[in-house]
Amino acid sequence: MAIISEGSAPIALDGGRKARGNLTKARIRWVIAALAIVFAVVAGKLIQLGTVVVDSTIEGRERDLITASRPAILDRNGLEMAVDIRVPSLFAEPRRIIDVDEAVEALRSVMPDLDETWLRNRLSGEKGFVWVRRELSPAQQERIFNLGIPGLDFVTESKRFYPSGEEASHILGAVNIDNQGIAGIEKHMDGEDVALLQSIGLARGNELSPVNLSIDLRVQHIMYEQLVDSLTRYKAVAAAGVMLDVRTGEVIAMVSLPDFDPNEPMTAFEPVNGKKDQRFNRVTSGIFELGSTFKTITLAGALDSGLVKITDTFDARFGVRFGRFTIDDFHGKHRVLSLPEVYKYSSNIGTIKTMQQWGKDNFRAFLTKLGFDKRVPFELPEMRNPNVPEKFSEIVAATAAFGHGLSISPLHMAMATAAFVNDGYMVAPTIYKRSEAEAKALYRPVISPHTSAYMRYLMRLNALEGSGTHMDKAAAGFRAGGKTGTAEKVVNGRYSSGLNLNVFTSAFPLEDPRYAMVIIVDEPQRENEQSGVTAGWNAGEVTGRIIQRAAPMLGVSPDFSETIDASLVPVELR
Amino acid sequence: MIRTLNILMVGTSLLGLVGVYALKYSVEETASEKARIERQIDRQEGELSLLQADWAYLNQPAHIAPIVVRHQEALGLEPARQEQFGSLASLPMRPIEQPDTGALDALFESLEAGVDPIEQLIETN
Repeated sequence: MAIISEGSAPIALDGGRKARGNLTKARIRWVIAALAIVFAVVAGKLIQLGTVVVDSTIEGRERDLITASRPAILDRNGLEMAVDIRVPSLFAEPRRIIDVDEAVEALRSVMPDLDETWLRNRLSGEKGFVWVRRELSPAQQERIFNLGIPGLDFVTESKRFYPSGEEASHILGAVNIDNQGIAGIEKHMDGEDVALLQSIGLARGNELSPVNLSIDLRVQHIMYEQLVDSLTRYKAVAAAGVMLDVRTGEVIAMVSLPDFDPNEPMTAFEPVNGKKDQRFNRVTSGIFELGSTFKTITLAGALDSGLVKITDTFDARFGVRFGRFTIDDFHGKHRVLSLPEVYKYSSNIGTIKTMQQWGKDNFRAFLTKLGFDKRVPFELPEMRNPNVPEKFSEIVAATAAFGHGLSISPLHMAMATAAFVNDGYMVAPTIYKRSEAEAKALYRPVISPHTSAYMRYLMRLNALEGSGTHMDKAAAGFRAGGKTGTAEKVVNGRYSSGLNLNVFTSAFPLEDPRYAMVIIVDEPQRENEQSGVTAGWNAGEVTGRIIQRAAPMLGVSPDFSETIDASLVPVELR
Repeated sequence: MIRTLNILMVGTSLLGLVGVYALKYSVEETASEKARIERQIDRQEGELSLLQADWAYLNQPAHIAPIVVRHQEALGLEPARQEQFGSLASLPMRPIEQPDTGALDALFESLEAGVDPIEQLIETN
């Protein structure tokens, strides 16, 4: 009341009370109007703030995606095969750079390899964000930071690092600069779920649990070392190998040479001796005529059908004639051979006769049963379709019986060999860890356990008396056995007698097989004057040396007792 | 009464003002502290990732094998040969020792005869 009476007009035409009342009303209106304006301004500002779109992209890519991390990859024993490291990357905001020339000069004092005109163009203009250099070293970051140039800043990115270098290159594959898988298991993981996690911004920091592979890095190292050695020892152009756990289908080791450095993915495209595209994974995406190693498959199928008995004999005195062609034996005995002798002496004639007794259509159906018509179901993206003729004519079936005229990948062969010694149960290979119980659910019988016992005997017999003796000399005591294959390579549409693809398929310890292996040496030459060029001398010896080194690590201890070999001999032949 | 109320309200406003200001500054300080710790965590995680990569690299067979080769001669290192493996089962049982009955009999006889062989030994020395 006191305040109102003070401000009232001295002359009052209306009644004093009424005049004071009007004045109060007017003042209240003014106050309300002022408040309304204030609130309108606040509301307007809020709306303005709400509609501002913060540009979180970096050159068109989400910031989260760039700083996204990938899960660590471990081998079966927990040793790291791929880890993420945090590295700083330098970016610039050109519209905030005051003196471009000074910035260019200062940056080139730290990174002299940057092109001056390129850098000047990059830093000029009104852009909000440009990369200057990705993946710096901490020392470089420190020096650039100390330059104190406005408009330059760092963002921490995840960079993939493969501590094992080249040794597991084809398994791991590679990632691009945005940390996305472009090959190998890295690409497969992206296809699975990592890409999804990254895209919704979850895969940051160390939130992803590591992935365990089935690879044993120690065995991988031994196989790598031995295959690298084989390239110089036998002057071979390429070599490859794969080892499977026969019970679970896990890949224990897989090497293909020539290879690349996953830390520098561009090395995958470097030519080898002037030839391009040589650094592919020969185990999965190479298909080859695997030669005599295929006799294992022919004999396994024939014995399993019951149409051929282990006690049968085959006339191998004369070559088999198909029109103008005659197929003869390489190490010809030219006499009547028993079935184990057919395998031991790697008789082409005997194998063809075995296949003919079994029937070519049965043979073709057996190859389908083994999955040789399609790719091996496997995680790595680098796979190629095998090349097996749809229908077998007499001559195609005959050559196929000893591994010519059809091409499969070494992984196909390893999978089949594993099944033959594992009581006939085939399981698709995997690069991830798998327990025996999980594998049992995937088992698919391809031959009977009884036939499997025959195959174990035949493989061991070949190591003791046949073409696998060089292998057995190195791997003595580990009860290893296998089959050689020396396939002449096709050069300009003709089989060349000089260039061979040598293969050795093996399994150990044969009384209770745990591991199967396929080793390939491409175009080997004699090690010295005394040695030969057939598979037993190179692929076989490499296999032997790998088993010798790796078997103790895998828990297979040597045993020289003769009762083991004797127990493998089937009852019919004792 | 109104006057006291006004003074009270002005006082409360001032207090509130001071309080809010103090709060604002303390929040700012906490925020910068948080940012500092986050930066530190970030840096340490970066260092940790480098150290882990280092550790992984140093543990690789690919890294260890050349070291072994380098010191092979000095340390006499060689891959184990098959003959060097053994198991407990392959050890022969310890042979049961047969007591030398003849010598024992002779000892008891000489003791009974009153000759102590140990005493004799001491005397001869």
